[in-house]
Amino acid sequence: MPETLFDKVWNRHIVAADDAATLLYIDRHLIHEVTSPQAFDGLRLAGRKVRRPELSFATVDHNVPTENQLDIREPMSRRQVEALRANCREFGVTLYDVKSGRQGIVHVIGPELGLTLPGTTICCGDSHTSTHGAFGALAFGIGTSEVEHILASQTLWQGRRPPTFGIEVTGSLAPGLEPKDIILAIIRAIGTGGATGHVIEYYGPAIRALSMEGRMTICNMSIEAGARAGMIAPDDVTIDYYTRIDRPFAPKGKDLDAAIADWRMLKTDDPASFDRHVTIDASSLVPQVTWGTNPAMTIDVTGVIPDPGQVPFSSREDAERALEYMGLKPGTPVSEIPVDVVFIGSCTNGRIEDLRSAAVVFKGRKVAQGVRALIVPGSEQVRDQAQAEGLDRVFIEAGAEWREAGCSMCLAMNPDKLTPQQRSASTSNRNFEGRQGPGGRTHLVSPAMAAAAAVMGKFTDVRTLLAERV
Amino acid sequence: MEPFVTHRGRVALLDWSDVNTDLIIPARYLKRIERTGYGPLLFADKRYEAGKAPEADAPEVHGTPLPDFPLNRPEAEGASILVVGPNFGCGSSREHAVWAVAQAGFRAVVAKGKDAGFADIFEGNAYNNGLLPLELSTSDWDALADAIRASAQTEVTIDLQNLTLTVHGSSGDRVTKIDVPEGQRQRLLQGLDFIAETLQHDAEISRHEQGRPAWLTPTLA
Repeated sequence: MPETLFDKVWNRHIVAADDAATLLYIDRHLIHEVTSPQAFDGLRLAGRKVRRPELSFATVDHNVPTENQLDIREPMSRRQVEALRANCREFGVTLYDVKSGRQGIVHVIGPELGLTLPGTTICCGDSHTSTHGAFGALAFGIGTSEVEHILASQTLWQGRRPPTFGIEVTGSLAPGLEPKDIILAIIRAIGTGGATGHVIEYYGPAIRALSMEGRMTICNMSIEAGARAGMIAPDDVTIDYYTRIDRPFAPKGKDLDAAIADWRMLKTDDPASFDRHVTIDASSLVPQVTWGTNPAMTIDVTGVIPDPGQVPFSSREDAERALEYMGLKPGTPVSEIPVDVVFIGSCTNGRIEDLRSAAVVFKGRKVAQGVRALIVPGSEQVRDQAQAEGLDRVFIEAGAEWREAGCSMCLAMNPDKLTPQQRSASTSNRNFEGRQGPGGRTHLVSPAMAAAAAVMGKFTDVRTLLAERV
Repeated sequence: MEPFVTHRGRVALLDWSDVNTDLIIPARYLKRIERTGYGPLLFADKRYEAGKAPEADAPEVHGTPLPDFPLNRPEAEGASILVVGPNFGCGSSREHAVWAVAQAGFRAVVAKGKDAGFADIFEGNAYNNGLLPLELSTSDWDALADAIRASAQTEVTIDLQNLTLTVHGSSGDRVTKIDVPEGQRQRLLQGLDFIAETLQHDAEISRHEQGRPAWLTPTLA
């Protein structure tokens, strides 16, 4: 029987199974301060221990201020961060705190530290855990009760085996186009509930051509199409990630050789065995911009705001509510929409390649008058690397704010937030109402497109700015 | 966990699609480290006048509820079954969304569309908290929504023993068969602690651990 990549990873983690459910072993458990305090409380109440503390790793990211990480002024945020510190001490879990050199957004540091490995199961109380699927891991977000369950047992119950969804991306990206444009185009094509219940595997030449960081951007937003997980089969690019740079927790020497031999087997035997299938052509893409309040409400930067009666996957009423919230009128060209704030960062687009791509656009240009641009590296390591390359100077000279690592304005749990009716161009993953602050209006774009919006003061096809440079 | 066997109650209708967990409970309330106090925070940015939603540390203190928001209408008062559009609970994995729904007094959420009513993580979180997430076919859901629109006093009985949902409408009862995965049904009926249940598999977990390659355990060289 041909097996998919997903089947292979799922099968090797089955601890117990009956007709209705499967108990899966979880190889890595990542923890942050927001979704864990009640789980640790639950353990304490029941008198339970953490079964395998060496398989759990914690960091602080959501509440951390990015102007000065050490200065958490808000009492509720401080209390939450302190609760994680105390819980990690009490239960023996490694914590990468601010200024440890390894702190950052949980989905950025997992791969950086070599905790994320192909073929593993990875869970975190965070929906963007799907990011780690870029390595061929089965990685998915969980609720706090499940965080407690994994802490206590290192396992998790899953219902019946989820169906698979093969998403083939053919062709290649034109200059100015980025992995973010691929995933926005996919969500636009299949809808925010388009992959509900399914595990996606992304494959095809346009996926193979991506770096690991680009693949992480794609897998990161699998959840925005409703998928339980998104995966990409490991290849030379994946293996390079572990051999080219030292990843502290990854296997070394003979262990790494054994691991690589194993990873080479992790691929789908026959793409015909996916339960569902769709093909997207990367060559025909133009930069994508979301206009509404879910990530399927996406259009081309060259397009106009749609008529509410013609929005795929949304009723007229839902689309009208979105237009009203966003303060937009049908027929308005995207290129005429001004922005107030630009946010470059998050677990979707807060890695070094994202910052490089933004820097290419910022270099020699200035942030437009009246626009505030925040550049927030995804981790302390990304920040250090960007500074070593001089990217921080490019951003600062352009008039952007160069910040410290954290989730920041992706979800506005720290002081970085939009005020009501402020409009952002954001490299994050969700344009939900109020996501970046109550009343804030979010448009999701790639890092290059965000930088273009910052320097032009409105949404702009970044390809025209890049062409000026030739 | 409180067992769920049968429940009869009035219904509140929120006929929107793709309601995400940021809408159900905005991120700023996730700074609470407690498991309780989320009821008044349900749909906080929709439910109260702008700028008058509660602070995270004082959920009970808030401005005037907006009369137009469906859950603020007089007929929704005291409802214990929430009827919602498709893809409810999409987005963030925050279990706080389920805590908010449950702590606002709901025992079940009835969503539109088989295999399309709920986002996966929300659905799992709901079961883990004894909140029944029920998906109806579009036609059954439409009939339920029509009954609610016809009479705000409509009551519904959900019988998990016999797997039925009964709409007690003005023109008599309408019974619909419901599907609930058997493992989840048993857990709900008995109000089981799922960690205690899992720990009975200790020998199998240990056996799996012994079979893992050593390089799977992270160590600093």
